[in-house]
Amino acid sequence: MTDNDARSREDQLAAQLFDQTDAELLAELARIYEQIDPVPEGLVERIGFTLTLADLEIELARLINETREPIGARGEERARTVTFSSESLTTMVTITPQDIGQFRIDGWLAPGAALAVELRTDRGSLRTTADLDGRFEFIEVRGGLVQLVIHPTAGSDLQLASPVVTPAMEL
Amino acid sequence: MTAEARDPAPTPAGRANAASESGAGLAAQIAADLIAHRSGDTHAMGLLVRRVTPLLWHVARGFRLDAASAEDVAQNTLLAFVRHSDEIIEPHAALRWLIVTARREAMRAVTQRDRTELVDDAARTVPAPETDEPEPVALATAAQRVLWRNVGRLSERCRQLLRVIAFAERPDYATLSTALGMPVGSIGPTRGRCLAKLRMLLASDPEWGAS
Repeated sequence: MTDNDARSREDQLAAQLFDQTDAELLAELARIYEQIDPVPEGLVERIGFTLTLADLEIELARLINETREPIGARGEERARTVTFSSESLTTMVTITPQDIGQFRIDGWLAPGAALAVELRTDRGSLRTTADLDGRFEFIEVRGGLVQLVIHPTAGSDLQLASPVVTPAMEL
Repeated sequence: MTAEARDPAPTPAGRANAASESGAGLAAQIAADLIAHRSGDTHAMGLLVRRVTPLLWHVARGFRLDAASAEDVAQNTLLAFVRHSDEIIEPHAALRWLIVTARREAMRAVTQRDRTELVDDAARTVPAPETDEPEPVALATAAQRVLWRNVGRLSERCRQLLRVIAFAERPDYATLSTALGMPVGSIGPTRGRCLAKLRMLLASDPEWGAS
């Protein structure tokens, strides 16, 4: 088959109606992608969690780095350090397992400012205010989906135009 | 103002599922979810999110984004959708809106990633992008391996297109090809160039059909 023949054969095939074989090829292709690149577990729930925010006029932060460090003598528990970035703020949090099913969250906002910080959980919200250096903490947080909301705060050195929200994450 | 604020009347139970029960394509299911959401069904948006998230993930991954960025694309797209769903006049256009928005978000993420790499290559905190399609190590059947090998011979643009169409079930070609910037002919749902190329590649692969 010459190049011209191949091209006219391709034109002809392309102009035909979509048929059962095409549908089967696409179904097989979908099965392949599901095997080699599955949708991450919990993604639907994490997105759903964000969409339940009362106010959706928000600035979304992106996860830009995540590391895990062994802690304790046997090193079997791991502390996660996660960094989120948005136009106005960089937020870094270290999540350390405490007692069974409980976590401690140490956070740091940059630029440092005394902003109101909300930790949304699937059982309601915990609230605190960062210190002047932007440090904050939540202790005895129960496991599950959580998400940080950093709110515009009167009197703070940093004036946010809208709340900064991190993606939801599973503790 | 949200749709609920205007019209708090609940819909009869199960209406949001009517389209999926009849086996309609994704565009019709999404349209039904959106209509149910607008008439106050508080579960409809959740159903829509569940239905469309896999497609949005595959749109983003088709641009070779890392997992966290692809999750951001899916989340940002759906957040924008909820914010702007009142502006989508024709519910059947909702799927197209979602795909177009996800592609735009993904392209923005690619641009940001490339800029970060150029400026900040030494102290980069962004995870390295995938350099190619994932390796097909996990494929279950010989037929899948042959199909995958031939998909790999297509242009990146065709791979992106087929990947999106594959996740939209019973593709509404008019919706999808417009969303992907590849208009179809006016005569109807033709096969299109990418599927034609794939079928020619498979036809000339001696292992196709042999397994």
